[in-house]
Amino acid sequence: MRAPEGEKLLWVALDNGIYIPHLCGLREAERPAASCRLCFVEVEGLPNPVTACTLPVSEGMLVHTRTPRVDRLVRTGFELLLSNHRLRCGKCEKNKNCELQKIARERGLKLRLSRLRPLISEVPVDESPKTFKYDPGRCVLCGRCVWVDHHQAKVGAIGFIRRGISRKIAAFGDVPLAESRCTECGECVKVCPVGALAFKEK
Amino acid sequence: MDLQDGEAEVIRAEVDGVLQRHGLERENLIPILQDVQSRLGYLPKEAMQQISEALKIPEVDVYSVGTFYNQFRLNPPGKHQIKVCMGTACHMMGGHIILESFERRLEIKEGETTPDREFSLERVACVGCCALAPVVVVDEKVEAKVSPIRVDGILLAFEIESKKSGEIEKPVEEEGRMQ
Amino acid sequence: MSATGTIIQAYESLKKAAVIKVEALKQKPLVLVGTATCGRAAGALNVLQTFRDEISCRSLDVEVKEVGCIGHCYAEPVVIIAKPGFPALCYGSVDEGMAGRLVTDFLINDDPCYEFAMAALEPNDQFPTFADFPRGVYEKKIILADCGLIDPEDIDHYIAHDGYAALAKALSMDPAEVLEEIKNSKLRGRGGAGFPTGLKWEACRNASGDQKYVICNADEGDPGAFMDRAILESNPHQVLEGLIIAAYTVGAEQGYIYVRAEYPLAVTRIRTALEQARERHLLGESILGSNFNFDIKIFQGSGAFVCGEETALIASIEGFAGVPNHRPPYPAHAGLHSKPTVINNVKTLSYVPHIIRNGSDWFKSIGTPDSPGTAVFALAGKVVSTGLAEVPMGTTLRTLVYDVGNGIKEDKPFKAVQIGGPSGGCLPESALDLPIDFDSLQQAGAMMGSGGLVVLDEDDCMVEIARFFLDFTQKESCGKCTFCRLGTKQMLDILTEITEGRGKPEDIDLLWELAEDIKAGSLCGLGKTAPNPVLTTIRYFRHEYEAHIQEGRCPALMCKELISYAIIPEKCSKLCNVCIGSCPVEAIYTRDDMLKAIYLDKCVKCNSCMVACPPQYKAVVKVSPPIVERGGSQDEQLSNHNN
Repeated sequence: MRAPEGEKLLWVALDNGIYIPHLCGLREAERPAASCRLCFVEVEGLPNPVTACTLPVSEGMLVHTRTPRVDRLVRTGFELLLSNHRLRCGKCEKNKNCELQKIARERGLKLRLSRLRPLISEVPVDESPKTFKYDPGRCVLCGRCVWVDHHQAKVGAIGFIRRGISRKIAAFGDVPLAESRCTECGECVKVCPVGALAFKEK
Repeated sequence: MDLQDGEAEVIRAEVDGVLQRHGLERENLIPILQDVQSRLGYLPKEAMQQISEALKIPEVDVYSVGTFYNQFRLNPPGKHQIKVCMGTACHMMGGHIILESFERRLEIKEGETTPDREFSLERVACVGCCALAPVVVVDEKVEAKVSPIRVDGILLAFEIESKKSGEIEKPVEEEGRMQ
Repeated sequence: MSATGTIIQAYESLKKAAVIKVEALKQKPLVLVGTATCGRAAGALNVLQTFRDEISCRSLDVEVKEVGCIGHCYAEPVVIIAKPGFPALCYGSVDEGMAGRLVTDFLINDDPCYEFAMAALEPNDQFPTFADFPRGVYEKKIILADCGLIDPEDIDHYIAHDGYAALAKALSMDPAEVLEEIKNSKLRGRGGAGFPTGLKWEACRNASGDQKYVICNADEGDPGAFMDRAILESNPHQVLEGLIIAAYTVGAEQGYIYVRAEYPLAVTRIRTALEQARERHLLGESILGSNFNFDIKIFQGSGAFVCGEETALIASIEGFAGVPNHRPPYPAHAGLHSKPTVINNVKTLSYVPHIIRNGSDWFKSIGTPDSPGTAVFALAGKVVSTGLAEVPMGTTLRTLVYDVGNGIKEDKPFKAVQIGGPSGGCLPESALDLPIDFDSLQQAGAMMGSGGLVVLDEDDCMVEIARFFLDFTQKESCGKCTFCRLGTKQMLDILTEITEGRGKPEDIDLLWELAEDIKAGSLCGLGKTAPNPVLTTIRYFRHEYEAHIQEGRCPALMCKELISYAIIPEKCSKLCNVCIGSCPVEAIYTRDDMLKAIYLDKCVKCNSCMVACPPQYKAVVKVSPPIVERGGSQDEQLSNHNN
């Protein structure tokens, strides 16, 4: 396989038709967030699984995208995300167009909790914008929306607030988006990998 | 939270003063927020907006920082701040019992302020006095080897003090305890 | 004259002035009061005021000074009196009354009150020294040597004790030679992981870029460690000197000290130290007359444990939330403002002046071949002599607990030590003979961490300890990565259920699986080490987990949901009402037969009655599993329960 020197492994693999689960990666971002922790691979010569989004490719590198250790980490990471994700796919705008569903399909994982406790807080859906809605209960905190808001749309309406289990994406003062600086340009909605930001159906 | 008359002007003036003492680079955001909080006791929304304009960064970025760190408060604190140390040594020596004692006496939970704004109760990670556990920091003073009885003593001292200065009685009083 | 000559000459003149000043102090009686935060908590400021008042109202010619912490925290407040003609004596647990006595008996008359004294500071023929204490035999003080003995707010005290001599020596050397010396010393970072300091410096020195930074990481967030605070409050110049030498070696002109917000006194003392160092040209433009320029800014943290992680610390200084980033790039290549940056812990930097002054061979002669030097521990918990101890690497835990710490309080049996805080683990009795160094601890599943060492006895529940640390890491997780944000919360919920008696048999294996995955999958050091307390307690104390889950019983009688308080009728004195007075919620009542008993539904399990019950009765007990509440009181149920 050929690739430009220094390109991150995740993009090289995807360009060559090899699927690696991922949510937070953005090709354009200068620095990978490396926060979703799903793109693990094993590289020969490295002792532990590594994230493909942070690994620059090099000449002669031998990569395994499926090993028992990789599969175990992906399974746990995926189930952790599900434990904090409002499932009910049938009622979700992104049904059949959702990255979580894709990961489940590609890796043979179930879209329900088997070992873990549900950690979902019943937060209301923000229906205030005219063209889209924001459901924090479906957000996986990948941060793609924040990056495009700041670096491409250059609006600066949303960001990460608080920390730990309370960390969420919100506007200044945690007010409904319609009361914030949001211009409803829709750029953030386009990059949301799940049903947290979704256009309203006409 | 709505501001009372004149508060907005006070906030604006204080924040102006703080901004003049610091360079307006992003690197100074946290020192600026610390300085504002030390003057106002908390970070009002209006102050954060004013800072974001001065530093030319999105207001949500200021809010991100203000909500991330333990030290920053978005609501005005009580007149007296009680911080119960929840470090390892304090925990093993009964720090959680002390916290519960304050919660019971003040009838608030950690992180809250009494309705009369006299006391706010917080937990702190470790004040570094592990040998004297359990430890409570009352305003600036460190109290060592605190017991549930001492909790009553600490609050009683404030009660006596406020009675002396002729203020109205606080809900932290004998009757309140019996309920 | 050569540049080297100028530097040495500039230093010699500073030193000469400092020695004259400090010698002059020795001509009259000198009272040193330890007013570090721990001393203040024990009442040192009142003691200080008593000395000042008594001395001034009697117009005595006595100097009173505030010093830092000598590490004997169990004996706070500590006072040292040096009177010409007597050995300098250290007094412990001083109160206002004793302070008054010392003024009248010792300072005015010549009775040193030996009955109050702990130890003399120098060998003499009248009173034993700290070296005669058991702990004195095992301790080897390098970075704590001057703590509590010199005035932290007067740079001349430090200079008179050879302070800044290492800086003068380093500035006379080529930076490459300084680097070689540090590399040869095999100094390893005292922040926790033990990465070789010389290699860190070398990477930064060799990194391209004209602007570089050095940062002292004083964000000591481990809930149970206080050595960085003690060093900064007691001997701040030692840290500054190390940081200046680091800057000279790597070629940095700007440095930072990142201090926790919870340490206001340390901030004040560093600020004073910086000003005094600038006045004497030890900081700023052309330091000691050389062509090296360097200055230091203080950056105060705002309360986030994760900022001890170096990429989060950098984000915080840059004005962002303290959220870590993926490494590589390591800060030594791209750190603060993407420039090469060295970040070292307070203790690591404190060793630097000693290594430069005494040579790397001297340093390697202490400790073990792979972990040379000393280790500083904050002894806390159920150990008799709590405080700071500095021992050679390779000392066993047994020595540390029983010889340095004087054993367990009330001679109870040892159960475990929690070492290394939230990233460390709990080691059982079988590990007592483990020589402590970076590698041996890692093999045992713990970690040096920042050196917190909490001794646990039979009254401490290991499941509860694991839950406590998970509660801490879960609250301090920045929330960026999946494994740490959600994984620590899942583990905490399981542990909470177990401590509340709602655990299920399969929970132990699930905890173990989750812990392993969080360790492997997390983005930064906080998440990668957060499972250690869970892994070590399951590994060494699985039976305690099983007792909670299978029997609804807390063997240590600690988990509140699994215990009840009761008063044993046969032991209760009837006439004593102490327990009733001690109860904050009026849950104790007098029965018709005058015996005391507890309303179980009112009891908040605050332990006050158990502490208050006089030792000759010891009538209050805790029982687990708890007495089943059927309303009403304990007395009719206690007997059934004991059957």
